[in-house]
Amino acid sequence: MALSESSAQNYALSDPDVRLMLQVRDGSADAFEELMLRYQGRLVTVLEHLLGKREQAEDLAQETFLRVYRSRLNYRPDSKFSTWLFAIANNLALNARRSQSRRREVNLGPTESGALGPAPLDQIAQAASGQMPARQLDRAEMRDVVQLAISTLNDRQRLAVLLSKFEEMSYADIAETMEMSPQAIKSLLSRARENLRAVLEPYLQRGDRPAAIEP
Amino acid sequence: MNEPTTEPGGQPPFQEQLTAYLDGELDSTTSLEIERRLAAEPGVQQTLKQFQQTWDLLDQLPRAEIDARFTRSTVEMIAVAAEADASGERSPAAGRWRFMRQAAGLLAAAAAGFLMVRLLWPEPNGPLLRDLPVLENLEAYRQTPDLEFLKQLNKSGLFAEEPSNE
Repeated sequence: MALSESSAQNYALSDPDVRLMLQVRDGSADAFEELMLRYQGRLVTVLEHLLGKREQAEDLAQETFLRVYRSRLNYRPDSKFSTWLFAIANNLALNARRSQSRRREVNLGPTESGALGPAPLDQIAQAASGQMPARQLDRAEMRDVVQLAISTLNDRQRLAVLLSKFEEMSYADIAETMEMSPQAIKSLLSRARENLRAVLEPYLQRGDRPAAIEP
Repeated sequence: MNEPTTEPGGQPPFQEQLTAYLDGELDSTTSLEIERRLAAEPGVQQTLKQFQQTWDLLDQLPRAEIDARFTRSTVEMIAVAAEADASGERSPAAGRWRFMRQAAGLLAAAAAGFLMVRLLWPEPNGPLLRDLPVLENLEAYRQTPDLEFLKQLNKSGLFAEEPSNE
């Protein structure tokens, strides 16, 4: 496997996080803490926007770090550290989603949103329609509208967008994280951008509420 | 909308190329082709602008702020896992002990199995072994029809001195 060994060397040379992870493999607790500090905010951000719940996002982020730690002895640097980390997180999120879906079949109550989760539709609509005092396109309103737009994407589109926007991942890295082909990611992101444009463009152009949240 | 909007999966490839262009994912030849169309077609320019503007709006999404509590609890969770690893089950010494315990268990099971078989399954050669002294002197017994006579000879010590007729 000369190719994979040379690519492992490349990643070890080019990705400082891979070098840290190799130190973790060799037993360095400091390196693990450094990795955790580098990624905990990024991980929780992506997971919270993906799942809509802060508490669940934190639980999954911790579980992700635990899995990284437990995998340290078998770690091979054959990809960027970030794609490996987010692939673990994505698998955990998928499992959580499946469990949620099963539970939702018996409990159709309203879901709670976390700090980054979308605001209730009527609240956003009220804000955007001017019924709130001093209607303005302030940041809070815009943030709510954007969160709503993100929430209209399906799970895969949303994750691809988050990895592209927040993590600035290339199509190839997103593909590796999501176990898809780069071409599939290209199509996925194109559809996601079109969906976002459809929801956000009316709001952006005319400054009134998005069509998706007409009361 | 300046570009046709179609159902997911049925989008024109050009739209994919346009978004890939914005993401810097196109090779130079395709990028030049996009730029040529951008220069010539105001509609394409407008679409590109809308994609860019709506993408930029995503900067409004909040980033999670991590407090010390989360970091501390994560570190504690990892420490518990590390302690469990160190205390035992995966160290080389623990591995050797585990191997020896398994080997001892296998030996004990084999011994118990052997004893069970010996107790429950009678030795098929038992009667032959029991009658071996008779079989060894069978020819002599056949030549002597009187059993009492043989007993007297045995008492006189004849067989002790000459166990075999050969």
